Amino acid sequence: MTYQLAPWTAIAPMLVLVITAMVLYIVDSIYPEREHPQLLSGISVAGTVTAMAIAIWYLAAGTGQHGGEIVLFWDQLVVDGMALFFTVIFTAVASLVIVASYDYVRAQPHQGEYYSLLLLATTGMALMASANSLVMVFIALELASLPSYALVSYLKRNRGSVEAGLKYFLLGALSSTIFLYGISLVYVETGVLQLTAIAGTVGEIENVAILGFGVVLLILGFAFKTASVPFHFWAPEAYEGAPTPISAFISSASKAAGFVIAFRVLIEAFPYEVLLELGIDWVLMIQVIAVATMLLGNFAAAVQENVKRMLAYSSIGHAGYALIGLAALTNPGGTNDLVLAAAMMHLLVYGFMNTGAFLFVALGEHWGVGRTFEDYNGLATQAPIACVAVTVVLLSLAGLPVGGGFLSKYVLFMGAVSAGFWWLAAVGAVVSALSLFYYARLLKAIWIESPPSTRVVDEYPVGLYTAIVLAALLTVVLLPAFFAVAETAQIAAVDLFA
Amino acid sequence: MAAPMEAYLLLSAALFCVGLFGVLTRRNALMFLISVELMLNAANINLVAFSLYHGNLTGQTFALFVIALAAAEVAIGLGIIMVLNRQYDDVDVTRAATMRW
Repeated sequence: MTYQLAPWTAIAPMLVLVITAMVLYIVDSIYPEREHPQLLSGISVAGTVTAMAIAIWYLAAGTGQHGGEIVLFWDQLVVDGMALFFTVIFTAVASLVIVASYDYVRAQPHQGEYYSLLLLATTGMALMASANSLVMVFIALELASLPSYALVSYLKRNRGSVEAGLKYFLLGALSSTIFLYGISLVYVETGVLQLTAIAGTVGEIENVAILGFGVVLLILGFAFKTASVPFHFWAPEAYEGAPTPISAFISSASKAAGFVIAFRVLIEAFPYEVLLELGIDWVLMIQVIAVATMLLGNFAAAVQENVKRMLAYSSIGHAGYALIGLAALTNPGGTNDLVLAAAMMHLLVYGFMNTGAFLFVALGEHWGVGRTFEDYNGLATQAPIACVAVTVVLLSLAGLPVGGGFLSKYVLFMGAVSAGFWWLAAVGAVVSALSLFYYARLLKAIWIESPPSTRVVDEYPVGLYTAIVLAALLTVVLLPAFFAVAETAQIAAVDLFA
Repeated sequence: MAAPMEAYLLLSAALFCVGLFGVLTRRNALMFLISVELMLNAANINLVAFSLYHGNLTGQTFALFVIALAAAEVAIGLGIIMVLNRQYDDVDVTRAATMRW
């Protein structure tokens, strides 16, 4: 028997993140007049990488997995395979974003606040992955959201950033109240807020209509966080106006965080077979949302002229793919853990691909390239390495076998087919083919068109380059390593259904 | 118990709808914030009333957390509205439309 750590150390990744955020405030207050970009981003990235390393170590050591989930604080927090898996996604994306931010915010004031808000948002997301009661889900959701509102409007002398922050805040505040009202209706009927306790009482409630309305409101709350229809329309505005590393962070990590609470709450607290007997078919609702999100995201992306807006709509489309993980659940579940694991893998790969794509736009902004597709004409002759990297991530986003995006989509669609939802897979496959069209538009501009003579690229920012190349590298590595990692996701999914 | 439980549900639903109406019709960002507060308190009424009904303190405790979180949300919101006012000289949410809605 090896030495066993105390149970509370299971939340070490979160503790590391929150302590790093506090250290940043302290360091920043020691030298309030001068900015220290290297010091601040160095501390932040050390914190996120440490948290990621701990989470990976726990995953490898089997902490909380194989039915041995660790519950803390009277069942309010749970550390299991899924919580650790998503913590790895959040911390990895946060690390890439921090490395890229070094160049992006170097000339801006208030960098200490920027990095500590970023770390607090990451803490909130890690907490969302571990939340085991609706109370913790709501608190963690707010901890992840409130710093994000401030980060989106970080460039406070930039009208676009302020406008994006305002819209993100208004819709975020509205959706979190809708989510809270849903929680209150669930409490009205069940009298408990802990997820497994809800599952225990949900079968013998008095008024199905109130509970059903509550579940619908909860799903609308998830739809906001994951940028799915009908609460998707904030996404293009917020992503376009926000500082681009923050767009990458929100569209990758924050979206994954929305999915992790959707997975845990819907599967743990509202078992599908029990709610179907009551007449609440939430899987049907998710199916409608998934199809609408896939179609709307991809079709809207195809008609954009602005690269960042195109990526924003494409990220809505990817939320639709990941929703298949919930939409293809069957009763009684034969392949349920397979599709759920596929959705988790898709969110992991998507985290790297999408961050890479947004950071490429950040690189373009750094050089003052411009916003439309034409502005990127011939960039490959001036910045070949970054362009190779972005080609890899874009093709992987479209689902071509150059990166892990191919396998995650393939397994997701196969899972949907074997669960009997061939039409979900068909819609996914068709819109994936469409997505190749709009990603290829950017690639054509970069590689084939000739560069305008007015554009000068004379400086190569180290942080942005490192982050983009790392994102592309991880996307490619996840092609051969896909099934090794998928095994962890599979174990996590089996535990969730158990 | 003095009032039937349905009364609390109706009150909270009415308050929620008043808030939602305000959110959808008001153009002033501050009025928007106040409307959102109404909606949050609608949920609090449910939580507190049914905490009594179910005979546990979960709902009341959660309502305290919600009040604290609402304050934090307003703090962030007012900050954003302040920079909005500096940039656009107005707190009308429809004025901030340099990007397409």
